[in-house]
Amino acid sequence: MTYQVTSLVLGLLIAGTILWLVRRDHLHGPFAFWWIGVAATVALLGSWPRMFDWIAVFLGIGYPPILAVVLGFGLLLVKMLTMDIERSRQERRVRRLAQRMALLEARQRALEDTLPLSPSEPADG
Amino acid sequence: MFAIGATLNMVLIPALNEEASIGALVGAAGAVTAAPVVVIDDGSTDDTAALARAAGATVLSLPLNLGAWGAIQTGLRYAAKSQWPLAVTLDADGQHEAESIDALTAPILAGEADVVIGACPGRLSLARRIAWHYLRWLGGISLDDITSGFRAYNRSAIEYLASSEATLLDYQDVGVLMLLRRRGFRTIEVAVPMQPRQYGSSRVFDSWWTVGSYMAQTTVLCLARLGSGRGWARRRHYRRGDSRCAS
Repeated sequence: MTYQVTSLVLGLLIAGTILWLVRRDHLHGPFAFWWIGVAATVALLGSWPRMFDWIAVFLGIGYPPILAVVLGFGLLLVKMLTMDIERSRQERRVRRLAQRMALLEARQRALEDTLPLSPSEPADG
Repeated sequence: MFAIGATLNMVLIPALNEEASIGALVGAAGAVTAAPVVVIDDGSTDDTAALARAAGATVLSLPLNLGAWGAIQTGLRYAAKSQWPLAVTLDADGQHEAESIDALTAPILAGEADVVIGACPGRLSLARRIAWHYLRWLGGISLDDITSGFRAYNRSAIEYLASSEATLLDYQDVGVLMLLRRRGFRTIEVAVPMQPRQYGSSRVFDSWWTVGSYMAQTTVLCLARLGSGRGWARRRHYRRGDSRCAS
């Protein structure tokens, strides 16, 4: 077995796992796109590792394997940043929801204080 | 029922485990305003909510602990929803005197300001004064008492601060002041007396870790908004009365 085949199998396994996670509702659709892209890249570069040599030469990089490390690292950082942006968006929504819930509960309590809870249970006063 | 001359300032009191002082504070606030006194219970584990309700307050109970600003914003959303013209925020720990509410709302009623801050910078320790000096310099804020929770807001300030734009703030001080400045709200200070905290502990100054986290967060906030409206803010922010506390 060559290392190209190993990489190809690894990429396909990752892609399959991600699709399975989406299918079982463990991974929200939009997030899956990123990971499918990762899986495809791993499979592609695993099948044609010479691609790195060509790109590295084109970019003027003397040691081609370092390109893979730098690219991988950079993409991870981008992914982490987008995750934090998404978390901030969710934090805002959670806070607004909590506030809204407090407002609605106060309104409900005020209504219950003025209206009978059931026909046989009139409100006091 | 209400004191003669009582005004229509909705009073908002964010509270977290303040059962020792909340009842008396609600009573005192109710005596000087004909408007609802609203206690925002920020997930208290003691009897704060029940005691506030027993004292006649409307209680908004947050299902999650949202911090001081999250609680105040809940109150501002309540005021915005009911289209209230004026809202005054008070700390629940007994530092602020309800009798000073009229002094805060007077400049708004006179059309001189949109937001008024009850200031008492003389109450601070040296360490806090240094921290404030740094934050004022970094944020380009010319107010003295940037952390005071004793504030009065007019209708347009209430509606702006109730919006989602102000939801991701964690503290009510520099971030809120910078937002107000960016939108051109006239913010002034009025010297008022303040009591030393009698119960509980400050949400910011309860440990060195919290202080460090507060300083770091606020520094990032100031750096990210560096220069936004700095020039005209100096002209619009001005101070009334004495920089020392009123007696």
